[in-house]
Amino acid sequence: MSVDVTRVAVVACPHWPAVAAQCELRSRGQVIAAVAVVHAQRVIACTTGAIEHGVVVGMRKREAQATCPQLHLVDHQPERDRLMFEPVVHAIAELVPLVEVSMPGVVVLATRGPSRYVGGDDALAQRLTEIAHNALHQLAQGVRIPFGVGIADGRLTALIAAHSAAAVGEPRVVAQGQSQQCLAVLPVSVLADFAEIDRSVVSLLQRLGLSYLGSIAQIQPSILVGRFGPAGNEMQRLARGLDRHPPIVIAPPPEHASTHRFETPVEDVNVVVLTARQVADQLVVHLGSHGASCVRLHICLQTDHGEQSDRVWYQPEGLTAAAMAERVRWQMEAWVAQRAVTSGVVLFRLSPIGLRAREGRQLGLWGATTQADEAASRAIERLTAMLGAESVRVPEWRGGRDPSETFALTVAAVVDVEHRTQQTVRVQEHWHGALPAPSPSVVYDEPLPVMVCDALGNDVTVSGRHEMSAEPCVVVLQQQHYTVLSWAGPWPVEERWWDTMRQRRIVRIQLVVRRNNTATTTRALVLTREHGKWWVTSRFG
Amino acid sequence: MRAVLDTAFQHEPLPTLPVSSDLAGLVPDGGLVRGRTVLCSGDAAVALALRMVSCATQAGSWLGVVGVNNIGVQAASEHGVALQRVVFVQPALRRAEWVSTVAAVADGFDVVLLETPPGITAADARRVQARIQARRNVLVLIGGSSASVVQSVFQPDVVLHTSTTEWHGIERGAGHIQSRDVHVAVSGRRVPKALQQSLRFVG
Repeated sequence: MSVDVTRVAVVACPHWPAVAAQCELRSRGQVIAAVAVVHAQRVIACTTGAIEHGVVVGMRKREAQATCPQLHLVDHQPERDRLMFEPVVHAIAELVPLVEVSMPGVVVLATRGPSRYVGGDDALAQRLTEIAHNALHQLAQGVRIPFGVGIADGRLTALIAAHSAAAVGEPRVVAQGQSQQCLAVLPVSVLADFAEIDRSVVSLLQRLGLSYLGSIAQIQPSILVGRFGPAGNEMQRLARGLDRHPPIVIAPPPEHASTHRFETPVEDVNVVVLTARQVADQLVVHLGSHGASCVRLHICLQTDHGEQSDRVWYQPEGLTAAAMAERVRWQMEAWVAQRAVTSGVVLFRLSPIGLRAREGRQLGLWGATTQADEAASRAIERLTAMLGAESVRVPEWRGGRDPSETFALTVAAVVDVEHRTQQTVRVQEHWHGALPAPSPSVVYDEPLPVMVCDALGNDVTVSGRHEMSAEPCVVVLQQQHYTVLSWAGPWPVEERWWDTMRQRRIVRIQLVVRRNNTATTTRALVLTREHGKWWVTSRFG
Repeated sequence: MRAVLDTAFQHEPLPTLPVSSDLAGLVPDGGLVRGRTVLCSGDAAVALALRMVSCATQAGSWLGVVGVNNIGVQAASEHGVALQRVVFVQPALRRAEWVSTVAAVADGFDVVLLETPPGITAADARRVQARIQARRNVLVLIGGSSASVVQSVFQPDVVLHTSTTEWHGIERGAGHIQSRDVHVAVSGRRVPKALQQSLRFVG
């Protein structure tokens, strides 16, 4: 076995945010089969009940509701996901003291010790399945929650094995040294699904004709690095079944940068977290001076009564000091929630156990990045740590006929900000059928239902030949009556008419309206008619 | 004597971020003065705010958009905002975290475009404005229809109230919206003399 790879076991519950939300609803007495978690208007996880009705991750909120009308939508709450998962982590930690939670719903542990203890990988997989089954059984009050156990060389293989095990219903063990063969036949899209490689990179790989991980593994790393930068090397390593970053070893951090002893036991979580932040700052400086950043961090907490909590945290992009302090908070909260703490904390230790080399960057000859760019990229990092990656976004041109489609907001954490400043983001190509400029400055995430009436008070309709039944005269929006002053259109769009699932047939009109009782101001709206109903999709604000 | 006094009290030129030439006459000191708060309100608030910050982003400043839902990114691009230096931040809903989010945005970005959620108190607003002043940023608030609420919480240095008087290019059943005439009323504590002006806006 290569030194580049650790054999790990993964216990994974697919769609954990949705499952956690469902369990929470059930504890309040609401039994709902189809639950979906929505963030930024898109579905990020859904239960099996919702999947059976055709709900897919990445769907827009309204699409999902149309596909499955009884769908119960909940907001994304990372805190709930973490706390609901805690009983599972705790149960596994009874067998293996040091477990790693990279995200709620996935537990990773090194198999070397536990396998020997229970008698081999297969036995370990069986044991983990039993433990997870019992813990989840209690949590769900008898309802089956899908989960899987996978054991393999390397995190990616084990994670994929665990997800496929969840579908099959029994654990999967990939024999030692078989990971690469196992990965070779998988499509490259697994890199985006399981290893957080950007979707645009994956799509580029597919267009280059590299459809399978096996074909990436055969390419020389230098060629991939030349084309994709550091991500190329990571993809190559992942495709070969190795750990994402080559292991590097540096001098252990000095005492002050890793351990803190409180003189009196501290019972306030915030005090521990703030102190941890200071220690983490020094740790990051120490690692930075050796050209490394921490991807796996072992946090150990001890109380006055000798209780101890150990946990490993993983973040493939590298943990910042703020992120380390945040992990300390999570671990403290989980520990307190378990009621396993009887006294204040007297010691905590941060040990970086997985390091990656900092990517060196060639700066432009004339100082292509300014001070403002550096400050901004630091702020993006900080905000991402504070609010989660999904809440910090940057616009990218996508193209489309609808003002809401032309630009997509992508997660800022996956964009190379310094590289980005050297290009311009703008409309690269005007699509046929898009409304002419100027574009509306307010685009509603959720279109507003509206009634459009003609002079006689009848609903204005549009025929199959895109002719309006009458001139629009009155608009009723949010129980307010507006008089139509001028109007233009209808402009039809027929998209994907060849695809029965995704076809879309709409018309759009522009209206200038004035509210009936306040005669002064006028506003311009863009209305869309779809499935026989009018919607306000955007407005000139 | 007068000349001596004049030179003695002459101010350093204030550090400003540029604004497009048609707006330079509207704002005092001909640009966005660092450390100040500008409130755009009325029915063209979003368009005016985008236009206000566009030149600064082209000149290399970063724009942090905090909590402004439903902003038309394509319209921003048409108003000249350099999208490669724009970051959209969705702040946490809790009030304490909202303030720290805005503070973190102010640490990293020159211009902060902000829509205030309901429930923000004057104390929160003061903390945000103090941070903006300390970091020498520019805060652009979007008031929309709830301008009076924003104004009672924040202490804007410049208030630009817009109202659209006419739309061009659209008729009854023909054409499409091409431009509009916007009437802008400028007031605020840093405006020596309230003024009003009509502008032709594309979009």
